[in-house]
Amino acid sequence: MDVEKFVEQAIQEIREKVKEGKAIIALSGGVDSSVCTVLAYKAIGDRLIPVFVDTGLMREGEPERIKEIFGHMNLVFVDAKDEFFEALRGVTDPEEKRKVVGELFVRIFERVAEEHKAEYLIQGTIYPDIIESMGGIKSHHNVGGFPIHYAFKDVIEPLRELYKDEVREVARYLGLPEEISERMPFPGPGLAVRICGEVTPEKVEVIRKANAIVEEDLEEYEKWQAFAALIGQATGVKGDIRVYGYIIAIRAVESRDGMTADPIKIEYEKLRKIALRITGEIPEVSRVVYDITPKPPATIEFE
Amino acid sequence: MKIYVVYNYGQYNHLIHRTLRDLGVESKLVENTTPVEDLKDADGIVLGGGPSLDRTGNCELYVRELDVPILGVCLGHQLLAKIFGGEVGKGSVGGYAEVIVRIVEEDEIFKDLPKELKVWASHADEVKKLPETFKLLAESEVCKVEAMRHKEKAIYGVQWHPEVYHTEKGTDLYLNFIEICRK
Repeated sequence: MDVEKFVEQAIQEIREKVKEGKAIIALSGGVDSSVCTVLAYKAIGDRLIPVFVDTGLMREGEPERIKEIFGHMNLVFVDAKDEFFEALRGVTDPEEKRKVVGELFVRIFERVAEEHKAEYLIQGTIYPDIIESMGGIKSHHNVGGFPIHYAFKDVIEPLRELYKDEVREVARYLGLPEEISERMPFPGPGLAVRICGEVTPEKVEVIRKANAIVEEDLEEYEKWQAFAALIGQATGVKGDIRVYGYIIAIRAVESRDGMTADPIKIEYEKLRKIALRITGEIPEVSRVVYDITPKPPATIEFE
Repeated sequence: MKIYVVYNYGQYNHLIHRTLRDLGVESKLVENTTPVEDLKDADGIVLGGGPSLDRTGNCELYVRELDVPILGVCLGHQLLAKIFGGEVGKGSVGGYAEVIVRIVEEDEIFKDLPKELKVWASHADEVKKLPETFKLLAESEVCKVEAMRHKEKAIYGVQWHPEVYHTEKGTDLYLNFIEICRK
């Protein structure tokens, strides 16, 4: 792809659509929304309102890093942790979860947009998000999760034709820090889809810690994504006491574009070390497994 | 040089478009409800994969009315079998992720490819009976008809997905198809 031309066209598109208006952008800290934010900032400058919603479903340290990197723009930081947990209470169906998170997300954006009188919403949707939603496999909160009646005049998705590897090329071209341009994909609904079953603050805390351990221990490995998911409960014994704890699955895959993926080969000793760290550092966990299923037939994320 | 990729609601259809685009061919992903008249300027057609033969729209019309090379992928492959009088049904096992296919007959679509290929697939259904006007090109342990072609026309079907990153020599297969379209 011609990156320079793409950047020019994307900036042009945003300018033409927003005209003299104001736009709000959903910034999650992932490479997609970060690239979109930089493109939009270049296009309309201070008429861009980047909004970071702390859903309580982010990875460890993520909200703080966002503030550091994008603080020089007019960043609006919304603490919506309680709202999200409230909305997710009792929800167990994976598609319902994505919808709940997506809808609340949009409601919050609408709120901020009204406060700032922004008429446009810019989103970092990329091509695989659209394909997966069209085929009825999953509804991404970027697309399928949106309720139809929102107050925005238009939704602008400058990356809709691109794949992740192409977005990274754009990120490098724009000079974004490596921690963003090479960042692993992270789903819109956050850690909520890395918990099978109901989402509770306790489970989120567990999976956030487990995820940080997996990311840290597999940092040196070539991969598309490496993360942890909480997939159920099982019996264990810790210090002569029976524990009915959580089962954590390690997922680590290589891929070019996220469309097909294969588990990476991790040596047994490494896996063992991760298992001992997770069960040792997180009291609520009783068991750790490694997922060896490719995509297809599995997907990369669990829900 | 223009190749249309017909979108049959499969996840990888856009990757076919991307592969052709990256190989320098003018490619367009089109809805399978597009009128056949709009595809008359095609030099080749790729029928993408998807969830159901009942949702393949005008694909049969394209195959019957457009006299250009055609490549059917996954569901597109099965559809070709059905159109030409073969049979499609559920396989005894599904083919997901890696499958080893053996090329049983040399053909220009496999030019410069090894006899045995590690490919990636994603299907529960398969071609059960080859149409009489077709010949078998490749097979595997999990599926008898992995690839086939029309005995006289440049109409090809492959059960696997040459467009995905994990398929060995997938790009070469599209290169060969492009060469066939050029003739």
